[in-house]
Amino acid sequence: MNGRGPEPGAAIPVRLERVTKRFGRVLAVDDVTLEIPAGLLVTLLGPSGCGKTTTLRMIAGLEHPTSGRVFIGDEDVTPLPASNRSVTMVFQSYALFPHLTVFENVAYGLRITKVRDAALRAQVGAVLELVGLPQVGERYPAQLSGGQQQRVALARALVMKPKVLLFDEPLSNLDAKLRKRVRAEIRDLQQRLGISTIYVTHDQTEALALSDVIVVMHLGHVEQVGSPFDLYRKPATRFVADFIGEANLLPGRYAEGMVTVGPYTFAFRQEGVHAGAVTVVARPETVQVATAGQGLPGTVRSAFFMGTTIDYLIETPIGEVSASAPPRVTGMLPVGSDVRLQFAEAGLYLLTEDGR
Amino acid sequence: MARVLTVPAGRVQPNLTLLGWGGVTFVGALLLPWHRPGRDLFTFVAEATGLALAPSSPVILAILMLAAAAALTGLLPRPEAVRGRAAVFAGAAGALLTIGYTVAARRPFSGAEVAAVLGFLSVLGTGLALTGVLRVDAFLAGSILWVTVFVMIFILYPLWAVLQAAVVVKGQLTLAVVIDTLTSPGFLLVNNPATPRNETAMAATVGGIAAIFVATVGAVRRRPVRRIVGWTLGAGIGAGLFAALYLGYGALRNSVLLAVIVGVCATGLGFVFALLAERSRLRTRRLLGPFSILPIITPPFVLGLAMIYLFGRRGFVTHGLLGLSTSVFFGPVGVAVAQILAFAPIAYLVLEGVVQAMDAALEEAAETLGASRWYVLRTVVWPLARPGIANAFLLVAIESLADFGNPIILGGGKGFLATEVFYAIIGRFNPNEAAVYGVVLLGMTLSIFLIQRYWLGRASYVTVTGKPSGASPRPLPAALDLTATAVFVLWAVLILALYGSVFVGSVTKLWGFDYSFTLKHLRDLSPQGWNVFWTTTKLSAYAAIPSTLLGFLIGYLVTRTEFPGRTALEFSSMLSFAVPGTVMGIGYILAFNQGALLLTGTSVIIILAFVFRNMPVGIRSGVAAIHQIDRSLEEASTMLRANSALTLWRIVIPLVRSALLSGLVFAFVRAMTAVSQVIFLITPQHNLATTQILSYIEYGSQGRGAALASLLTVFMVLVILVLYLVNRRLDIGAARELAQT
Repeated sequence: MNGRGPEPGAAIPVRLERVTKRFGRVLAVDDVTLEIPAGLLVTLLGPSGCGKTTTLRMIAGLEHPTSGRVFIGDEDVTPLPASNRSVTMVFQSYALFPHLTVFENVAYGLRITKVRDAALRAQVGAVLELVGLPQVGERYPAQLSGGQQQRVALARALVMKPKVLLFDEPLSNLDAKLRKRVRAEIRDLQQRLGISTIYVTHDQTEALALSDVIVVMHLGHVEQVGSPFDLYRKPATRFVADFIGEANLLPGRYAEGMVTVGPYTFAFRQEGVHAGAVTVVARPETVQVATAGQGLPGTVRSAFFMGTTIDYLIETPIGEVSASAPPRVTGMLPVGSDVRLQFAEAGLYLLTEDGR
Repeated sequence: MARVLTVPAGRVQPNLTLLGWGGVTFVGALLLPWHRPGRDLFTFVAEATGLALAPSSPVILAILMLAAAAALTGLLPRPEAVRGRAAVFAGAAGALLTIGYTVAARRPFSGAEVAAVLGFLSVLGTGLALTGVLRVDAFLAGSILWVTVFVMIFILYPLWAVLQAAVVVKGQLTLAVVIDTLTSPGFLLVNNPATPRNETAMAATVGGIAAIFVATVGAVRRRPVRRIVGWTLGAGIGAGLFAALYLGYGALRNSVLLAVIVGVCATGLGFVFALLAERSRLRTRRLLGPFSILPIITPPFVLGLAMIYLFGRRGFVTHGLLGLSTSVFFGPVGVAVAQILAFAPIAYLVLEGVVQAMDAALEEAAETLGASRWYVLRTVVWPLARPGIANAFLLVAIESLADFGNPIILGGGKGFLATEVFYAIIGRFNPNEAAVYGVVLLGMTLSIFLIQRYWLGRASYVTVTGKPSGASPRPLPAALDLTATAVFVLWAVLILALYGSVFVGSVTKLWGFDYSFTLKHLRDLSPQGWNVFWTTTKLSAYAAIPSTLLGFLIGYLVTRTEFPGRTALEFSSMLSFAVPGTVMGIGYILAFNQGALLLTGTSVIIILAFVFRNMPVGIRSGVAAIHQIDRSLEEASTMLRANSALTLWRIVIPLVRSALLSGLVFAFVRAMTAVSQVIFLITPQHNLATTQILSYIEYGSQGRGAALASLLTVFMVLVILVLYLVNRRLDIGAARELAQT
């Protein structure tokens, strides 16, 4: 840290208690209860319209819940306006003030909280250095590149030493390559400063790469909370399985350590699953394609060479299955080939029927 | 890992907003007088201060105590919600007590009431924000309450006073005046017993012929029966009514006929100009802007005066050049011509936007499908422009109905609704009759306003996608381009000649008889004319600032905040667009002529009339400018601890400064050139340039009238030029800030 930027160690949690938000007749957020641990980077992930941005804006104080309470630390901030919460936000559009220089943009909040001139200069200089833009203070936002604007927006939020830092899809205006780099920088900075951070995105790869914890939201409620690895390996619902990564969702039956999909039965054990109908979640990279032997029979419908893998779409008695196979195993199978599919145990997960 | 920070209970910061507003209220109520002896607003009566009255008046004592309580609430070491509830109580009770005291005392209000009402409203607003009833902060909550009270007192109450005066005569509820006025031949006479012809029968015949014609055409073209019936009924009734109006007499007939004819002609001209401006290949289109702004920034009756100069009985064209002695243009025809020339630019400005917003890709698509340019114009451009054209027509119709200056100069004794309001008060001393005319006029403009806003608002096709296609506009067919340019040039020459004649008239000895050069009229302006000119400039400048700021604030509130009654506030504050100036004028006279709200005879009432009359200009430009700003800029400012007042001051206002400046200048120009709403409000001490010109003309010193009118015109042109230059510099500055490097 070298004594620059916000001090670590003051991280505090955020809690939502039965928060509901209606816009007229539209139910944007439906009875959400959520604990966001201190000092971690938590992502709210979901398709557009799932209520993730509304949830973020209620934490920010830019929207007010129709019912329920928001806590920052132990303080109930529900009635407080945005300007009185120790929270700052990086906006999707960056929202840099076009008529102010970069320096004045970053200094804006400090001037309002009446920080003295010398201290103000020092803090703004330090935070601009922290984000790697020590030389652009006198420029106007429009004279910066998208990536630089993004970092100024981050600096403007950090300089206020917030208890909680919010991001609203901050990377969506950057091109793919830059996005990857800035993503790594945000992660690095957050780790160094240890600020509780809430990050909204609809991009699941971004969420997987960045987060300590991911909150998957769908139609206004929370589907699942967990680490990226847990979400990928053990999705709680069909929606999560489908939304996080690619997945084949196959209808099957489970009984006594045996799984049946279509005509194929194989041994697989999963704790806590009762005998009966299940949905088999099989990631494409765990579907093994063979030309003979045991397995779910099928016919290759299409095959795309992707470099590191070959992506097959295979028609089986229980529907289409996609598989990503390394090319060295079989070579490239022609369309129309008859194949047998097996499932690597490590990539398989069973959902019982109440998993929606 | 997490060290939880708790906020220690009981250590609450003092609320400076409550302390401040409570203090202001207390000091104002204590040291300012509660009433004044005469009309002058700024007389200080030592024995009427709260300090002097409190010992004998328990109400004032209670008001003072409430104000002190509000201030102390700010220091109270209690949670904000508790302080909020206390502030709501103190603010509401204080405001109600103050209003109650003022109304009951029946004495003209003074400084203490103003301070107390506004102060208590701010306290109430702060309370509503703290308790979370209004989901905005203290500044915006207070603004909402202030604006609501202003709109109620200065827009809704005067209109109510007009409605009331129409049916309440000497304290009695009666319909006698309404019936008398509406049945008088001066209002409307369809069947004139003095003429041998039977007007009703003739109108019915015309309607019948139109109906038969439309039905036949429909049948021949094999249209569906239901549409034929609809069209036939519409055409029959429309043509019959039009014929009845044409054959009839009276103010209603004159005004409606005028509005329809002027609406059609001015809109047609405006559409031609709009096509030229956007689609012409000729250089002349560059002249459209400067020429069309001229009638908008000068009082409309300048053209009326010029009509007399050029086409009157001793007019330069009619008498001087052609040797005629005609009074054709002195009367409804002249009024119509003057209004068409003056209002065409209004239609043009509306329709320019419509033509601009039309996606040229649609026309290109039609052309690639094999349509000729004429065919495209008929089947694509015209249907797309139709809602806009209806819109322009209705706006011009409102302007025509509400216009006062041209009918009074050129009317030639023929009554129009707007002038009858004036004559009923000034000539017949009958405010009730004036109110009835006012209500009729108001009803008409208001229904047009409602049609325009709610019915047409939905019928517009423009900006369907909002995606710019990048296609450049298609040029007009050459024949149409030339014809349209010829029409425009004719109009421009006429406008030049008319304004020119006023300028020449101001240095001509006696127009129509002796055309020799003189500076006498200009010299004669001193001292009276110059004084009036100076007063007008001063009052207009005083009015322009609050008018723009208030309009801008309302624009901000209705676009960026949610509160109960928001739509009602927006509607009522836009209302004064639709209220004719004369109606607003008698409203102000009736509402502010006695009792607690006595304001007539002061310059303040003129300023207030300007402020609330021109506020919609500020609202419109404010709303348009605020829509251009990304909302997240304000949210970012809020997240960086700025309250809404700071956000407005540091972020919003700098970003809309050029719109704000334009709004300011147009509010000033509109005030300088206003006639109808102030004609009842002026006094010998507070006379205004426009009304002075009218009275010069009325009392035979046309030359002096022309001189003052020229002065006013030149001044307005200069003001607009300065605005243009400053705004261009602002824009260049902004461009530099935003420049990509």
